[in-house]
Amino acid sequence: MNNPTFQISHARVRLVFSILLTSISFISCKKKGCIDPNATNYNAQAQVEDNSCTYADFNRAEMLGNICDNYIVPAYNNFNSQTTSLKDITTAFSNERSLENFLAIRAQWREALLSWQDVSFIDFGPAEFIVLKNQVNLFPADTTLINTNIALGGYNLEYSSNNVAKGFQALDFLLNQTNLSDQEHVNYFINNNDATSYILDLAINLQVNSQSVINNWSTYRSSFINNNSSNAAGSSVSNLVNGLCSHYETYIRKGKIGLPLGIFNGFSQQEMPELVECYFYGQSLPFAYRAIESMKTYINGQSYNDNTEGLGLDDYMDHVGATSGNTNLSVEINNQIDEILTSLMAINDPLSNEILTNKNGVTLCYSKLQELVPLMKLDMTSALGVLITYQDNDGD
Amino acid sequence: MTAIRQWLKNISFTYASIYTLVSFRILFGLMLFFSTLRFILNGWVNDLYITPKFYFTYYGFDWVHPLSPLGMQLLFGLLIILSLFISLGLFYRLSTTAFFCIFTYIELIDKTNYLNHYYFISLISFLLIFLPAHQYFSIDTYIGITKKTKKVHAWTINILKFQLAVVYIYAGISKLNYHWLIEAQPLSNWLKHQSDLPLIGGLMEYDFTAYVFSWGGALFDLCIPFILLNRKYRLFGYALVVFFHVLTSLMFPIGVFPFVMIVSTLIFFSEGFHEKLISGVQKIIPFRFEMRNPKLILPPSKKSRKILSSLLGLYITIQLLVPMRYLFYDGKLFWNEQGYRFSWRVMLIEKAGYTQFYIHDQIGRKKLIDNSTYLTKQQEKMMSTQPDMILQYAHHLRDEYSDTLIIEGKEKIYLKIPKVTADIRVALFNKGNRQFIDPNMNLSNVKRGLHQKKWVLDYEE
Repeated sequence: MNNPTFQISHARVRLVFSILLTSISFISCKKKGCIDPNATNYNAQAQVEDNSCTYADFNRAEMLGNICDNYIVPAYNNFNSQTTSLKDITTAFSNERSLENFLAIRAQWREALLSWQDVSFIDFGPAEFIVLKNQVNLFPADTTLINTNIALGGYNLEYSSNNVAKGFQALDFLLNQTNLSDQEHVNYFINNNDATSYILDLAINLQVNSQSVINNWSTYRSSFINNNSSNAAGSSVSNLVNGLCSHYETYIRKGKIGLPLGIFNGFSQQEMPELVECYFYGQSLPFAYRAIESMKTYINGQSYNDNTEGLGLDDYMDHVGATSGNTNLSVEINNQIDEILTSLMAINDPLSNEILTNKNGVTLCYSKLQELVPLMKLDMTSALGVLITYQDNDGD
Repeated sequence: MTAIRQWLKNISFTYASIYTLVSFRILFGLMLFFSTLRFILNGWVNDLYITPKFYFTYYGFDWVHPLSPLGMQLLFGLLIILSLFISLGLFYRLSTTAFFCIFTYIELIDKTNYLNHYYFISLISFLLIFLPAHQYFSIDTYIGITKKTKKVHAWTINILKFQLAVVYIYAGISKLNYHWLIEAQPLSNWLKHQSDLPLIGGLMEYDFTAYVFSWGGALFDLCIPFILLNRKYRLFGYALVVFFHVLTSLMFPIGVFPFVMIVSTLIFFSEGFHEKLISGVQKIIPFRFEMRNPKLILPPSKKSRKILSSLLGLYITIQLLVPMRYLFYDGKLFWNEQGYRFSWRVMLIEKAGYTQFYIHDQIGRKKLIDNSTYLTKQQEKMMSTQPDMILQYAHHLRDEYSDTLIIEGKEKIYLKIPKVTADIRVALFNKGNRQFIDPNMNLSNVKRGLHQKKWVLDYEE
């Protein structure tokens, strides 16, 4: 402060110059017009922007319709057919407990769990209503409770207290028991009718829940598409974006990698390998990879079955001109997702072991996952105007 | 100089009809009633003053704490009653004083809930204490505990006009910035999601519309007090007021603020208008408030005029200076928000933040804090972008973990006064999130206060 120089306010300089430039451009002979190639009235001859650009009206209903019809419904249909098939195969096994039938269950269990990853982040509407994520894939499973349920019978899987004893992770525990060979698993079920009927009940429960969600979507669909009048809290865009962001933050970033890695474990950051998804199966990464990959399809409005491009959140972000640094926000988000996928490819299963032996690799993975959080939670939500408002505000 | 003195004397100590004050009292009281009722019915007493475990007090007001849950509910019940009392003019001095104290106390509990219109209500209810708005057409005069008056001193009405003019003009001045005028931000972003509005929805896609709204809004705020003061254009001005506020209330979740302004600006109308308004009400109610034997008010003595003038001068000076205090701080106002509150800045910025707080132990390890353990969603959201709240929260975490023994597995970790750091990303005007503060800064040691918060990083353009 000893130096009596005055401070230049860049904002004010820009203000003055902008006014000057605008006035000059009005009287200059340069051709004015819209110079944004994305605009509908892009003028190739124009040299000076005159703020006349008009853009194709972004059709939220069309975006919601596309996401619903080409991603959400087919993805739930696939999930439902996978769980139906799991139920059928488990029924077959309970009738004829052969090694072949047992291996078929395990293979189908894996397929069905992969198909769950495609719909996990559609965390609103019918799925949120029955808290599908907790009924289907809560981990770690409570192995004591599972054994108690089998031993005592009389359990009711509809009780939320049994969420930790059902779903894919309970099946993981029973289908991938430690130190048992495949044949020994078959023998276990031959000698234990209660365990056999338990896995059948688990498979049925999965199917019932997936069926209920897909059924509800047939009626929810129209209100989902029509609830597009704004992006305020409670609108479809807001539900979709909030469901995606919070599911990603809590259940993918934190649940699949962060928690087992020990990031949330106090000062010691002690790893908790037993918290990985499918601990007993010994493979967690295919599921994490699939969840991220599907999320990318979903954000970009691609179709579930053949990845055909359609109107998605990426187009909406582009429409409002959201940027991150010098790049489009949609590009930045896609790049970040690709980096996550690359870092996931660089680590190996079993993840429970990898977090102990290759902590750096998994930590890198986590930091890539972490970097996506502000991009989605801050930049994407503000770009789409779905900032959550719980009370009145001044707009600030 | 003498001309100015004469003018000041005219607008302060000449006589004016009491009708203006009376209808302002009635309408503003009703406004308070409905907005408090709405607040209660929305369950906000519970959400904002009972649920939180921690409150962001204002600097210098750390002694303000919420009452017990029952106490808070009773306070709001009391506000409802008091607002009706004000409207009816019952125990007016007491009611306005109590309303001002309770309302302001509630506002001081948690700055999370700061809204310019709450500040406005605090100020107006403070002014009402000193205005003789109950000296006609009130229960106080009906039952005879207050004498009727026909005339009041002009300052009692003009101070309210001044207060309203301050709100509009400072709101207008705050819009005169690069983002608002040149980029049409944040409106250009917000309006793009408004294409569903009736009639004008189709216009929202055009950049041009955002510029019209931005420039129009700034012009409206800057000019409207003068238009309303002018008898010739008053009706036109009021039509503008109604149009502008109804439009903003349709577009943004700003609650009752537009209606508070629509009602309050009636103060600019003539005495005749207010007299008609009151006689209209008189016709439909069974109680008669005839103006018989009104109390004569004498011109104030020279001494009381002097005292009154200096008090009014002080109030006016404070009102004019407080919104300008941001000039004492370096850096970008919208980024560090130093001197942002109490300045009539509304709808100016689009800002969102994401915070990760860490507590450090003696040997340099750190624990990630789950903010939802200590803060409500709304508190976390407001804290994430405002440096003073970030610091308060960091200090709260420091205190929570000070002199604590933590047992993790077999390990015992003792914390005396732990280091607290925060990794904070903030997005302003959709230009990509940026680092907000130095992630290595130990916030534990940083003093609270009104001085420049140097630990907030500069905004990189």
